[in-house]
Amino acid sequence: MYGWIWRHLPGPLFLRVIEAVVLVVGIVALLMFVVFPWAEPKLPFNNVTTE
Amino acid sequence: MPPRPRPVDPPTEVIPRVEDDYDDYDDDEYYDDEPAAKDALPPDSMARKTVRGVGEALITMGLVVLLFVVYEVYVTDLLSAEKQQDATAALDSEWNSDVVTPPPADPNRQSKLNLIEGKAFAKMYIPVFGNDWKFSVVEGTTDKHLEIGPGHYKDTAQPGEAGNFSIAGHRVGKGAPFNDLDLLESCNAVVVQTQTQWFVYRVLPMSSEVAGWAANPKAKQAACTGVAPLSTTLGDAYSKTVGQEIVVPTQGEVIAPIPHQVGTTVPADKQARLLTLTTCHPRFSDKQRLIVHAIETKSYPVADGFVPPEMTEG
Repeated sequence: MYGWIWRHLPGPLFLRVIEAVVLVVGIVALLMFVVFPWAEPKLPFNNVTTE
Repeated sequence: MPPRPRPVDPPTEVIPRVEDDYDDYDDDEYYDDEPAAKDALPPDSMARKTVRGVGEALITMGLVVLLFVVYEVYVTDLLSAEKQQDATAALDSEWNSDVVTPPPADPNRQSKLNLIEGKAFAKMYIPVFGNDWKFSVVEGTTDKHLEIGPGHYKDTAQPGEAGNFSIAGHRVGKGAPFNDLDLLESCNAVVVQTQTQWFVYRVLPMSSEVAGWAANPKAKQAACTGVAPLSTTLGDAYSKTVGQEIVVPTQGEVIAPIPHQVGTTVPADKQARLLTLTTCHPRFSDKQRLIVHAIETKSYPVADGFVPPEMTEG
């Protein structure tokens, strides 16, 4: 998977490194701001109220 | 004397030059160039590709889980700090702009606060947690409300009212207001400030302290006046109301006007003025709830420059 992505990044080496970093940052941001806030209330970690 | 014959020198052996020139790896198999090394690897079969793909996927999932922990424990703190700040700023501007009505003669018979869901209406301090421990309490206990700060259970008493003023708060992440709730001891003060009044609540004796409270040195401290096992001062209805308890999430009766008494109705003027804090337990789990009960021992009108003496108990 990682090898496949690396081979498919266009451009010379330094450009590929930049592209890879941008890709990682983008995915982390997607997880932090979209996926985790959505998933968090569904997980049994942080319910503090009584019913 | 004839000269001794010299031992015959063996013929000089010609030793071939040792190849010690390590700068030149051309002939060294180990240091073969990239393409040559690749040839040495077994062919990229389907099975190989699959195993590698599964391995990479597992590593990725592990990283995502680690990232989730970082999110839960640190990132939500940052997001909530901002919301708490906004709520506090809104509360401050409201308190400063409104004409402060002087507190009524009996400070506990004040007119009701106008509570709007998601809006802060009071500030809360726990001096033993340090003077930087302060949160604005919002109305409502949904996830959205609790992201802002500790949330007041709707339909429970208001600060200083007879009944049970109940607040929920996060233990981990989201500002973690109630992270250290388990460290509260009997007689520790929890101070609640509204626009017009300060209310000092003190944690009730723990269940282990109830029996020997009279002999407990805390019972004699002036600051702890009013803190006593409620079963001795208010009767059996309060026998289950102690400083700290751990319950299952379905036990909503801990925030009833008289904790654990759902069926019985007691006239409001016979009810104690309690404060109940709820959070998750154990930490990082929602299996149980940690509950802290406190009783109002003092109240002061808000005045310029006045800070209750309890605020400096740390």
